[in-house]
Amino acid sequence: MNIVVTAKQVVDPNLPPSYVDLDPSGKRIISPFGVQPVMNGYDENALEAALSLRDAHGGRVTVLSLGDDTSRGTLKHALAMGADAAVLLNDPDWLNLDSAGVGVVLAAAIRKLGPFDLVLCGRQASDSDAGQVLYWIAESLGLTAVCPIAKIEAVEASNLIVHRLAEEGFQRLRVGLPALLGVSSEMNEPRVPSLKGTMVAGRTLIAGRTARDLDVPSLQPKVELRSLAIQKRTSRAKLIEGASAAAKGAALAEKLREEGLI
Amino acid sequence: MAGILIFGEATDSGISRATLQIATAAADLAEALGEPLSGALIGSQLGRAADEFHCGLASLYLVEGVHYRPYTAEAYVVAAQAVIATAAPSVALFVQGPDTRDWVPQLAARIGTGLVTDCTGFATERGSLIVSKPVNGGGVLAEFIVHGTPRMATVRPGDFQPRVGPASAERIHLAVAPPPERVTVLAETALQSSGGPRLKDAKIVIGGGRGVGGTNNWHLIEDTAAVLGAAIGCSRPIADSGCVPSTHQVGLSGTSIAPDLYVAVGISGAAQHLAGITAAKTVIAINTDASADIFMRADYGVVDDCREVLPAFIERVKQLRT
Repeated sequence: MNIVVTAKQVVDPNLPPSYVDLDPSGKRIISPFGVQPVMNGYDENALEAALSLRDAHGGRVTVLSLGDDTSRGTLKHALAMGADAAVLLNDPDWLNLDSAGVGVVLAAAIRKLGPFDLVLCGRQASDSDAGQVLYWIAESLGLTAVCPIAKIEAVEASNLIVHRLAEEGFQRLRVGLPALLGVSSEMNEPRVPSLKGTMVAGRTLIAGRTARDLDVPSLQPKVELRSLAIQKRTSRAKLIEGASAAAKGAALAEKLREEGLI
Repeated sequence: MAGILIFGEATDSGISRATLQIATAAADLAEALGEPLSGALIGSQLGRAADEFHCGLASLYLVEGVHYRPYTAEAYVVAAQAVIATAAPSVALFVQGPDTRDWVPQLAARIGTGLVTDCTGFATERGSLIVSKPVNGGGVLAEFIVHGTPRMATVRPGDFQPRVGPASAERIHLAVAPPPERVTVLAETALQSSGGPRLKDAKIVIGGGRGVGGTNNWHLIEDTAAVLGAAIGCSRPIADSGCVPSTHQVGLSGTSIAPDLYVAVGISGAAQHLAGITAAKTVIAINTDASADIFMRADYGVVDDCREVLPAFIERVKQLRT
């Protein structure tokens, strides 16, 4: 089974929210100085799912990332986890694309890779939280997209049986291949790269692609980022005082009662 | 191409409150742009929801059919495309929810138009539609200009009051044939409910984090929830530890909540968690660490050990109620 995984490099979501910076253009969120960006968590779940399928059924896992040169870090991580190949889509024209543009470029790159059975994407990215790119990829490639997926139950000759999270439970679905799945964190626990994996990753070449390498149609922005504003890191919390922890607890109850909240 | 079109949420018990909340934002937008406001519903049984969709709509478009249950994205995409082709709106708004999170981006990609998901505010500037949404866990507010026809946004209901208005002037029924099946729904399974109010709709939510001090102290959260009639939530480390089912996780990889009151106990306030509570009205933080980021989001704070604060809190709540 040949599987393509898309991966985005993001600011570590386990940081406090106010610990981010903007680049000089004010249009991109960047990691604070000295803090490494990470692979988007849901994309790690997607990669883990791909590696498990490959290990059970054979085939190849190729990871694609669209980003600047720093995104090599995320692709090295993907190789260290066990991906067979990694491709960086890096072109100055692509750095400020909207979801539609990113999806169309990724689709063009996937088409260029050759035949595949499955595209696995994270259900959304933890920075922009938009959850749109996977659908633009699917639409561009004429694939059926199903999302958010919590489990791949079975692999049949030309179908997958998957569990899609619904509002209060899940749907068991049969999806014809090739297809695109948006993977959720319920799917698995991503493996930690082994020492050997990390060493192999260090020696593996990451292929690079620019606009000249791909047949990308002209990209008209559909959504334009106007501004980003870091929310001020100031506490507006009124502290409930008291002589002891218990006194504060009682005072909190009174305050909430007074405010009509309970 | 003119008009603001709201795609509402029809439930078995009628129109969702979130739909009427979004109608308020949509009505303001309609006024600002000088365009009419219309509504649309897609579903298997729309009678009651259609009767309750009283927001002074110029027209209400209804697409009803048995093939909208169980949910498949393709059926909704095709139905919404038919409504948009008929109504020709300049802006289409949707209630942010688990299903719209899936089918509305597919609709946008199918039509080839601009969409911002999960937005919290709107403005217009010389006819341009500007939408805002918190990103990166709510630490950063982003503003976008949306292009395309129609310009689309899924909207978080949190901050808006429900709109009440006269019944819609006209109802337009559209017949849309079921599209060819792309996926087969083999079964739908409901997760076992742990009882108590649902996290997503609860008016009061109490959330516990690592600071609660493990499984042995979790009863403090349960006891507080019981006395407040609150739903129970937790942070990611707690869900990851298996102490509480992952369905209780609040945040980016869990549930987004919009309660009137959220009590965060022993939660530090990582971006991951704060992303799920941006729509909470009043936030209380109880934490021993006064520098914890949760206090940046909280309206009231208690800097002390929850193991002593909560029992006294519970006791006082009971007294105040008698």
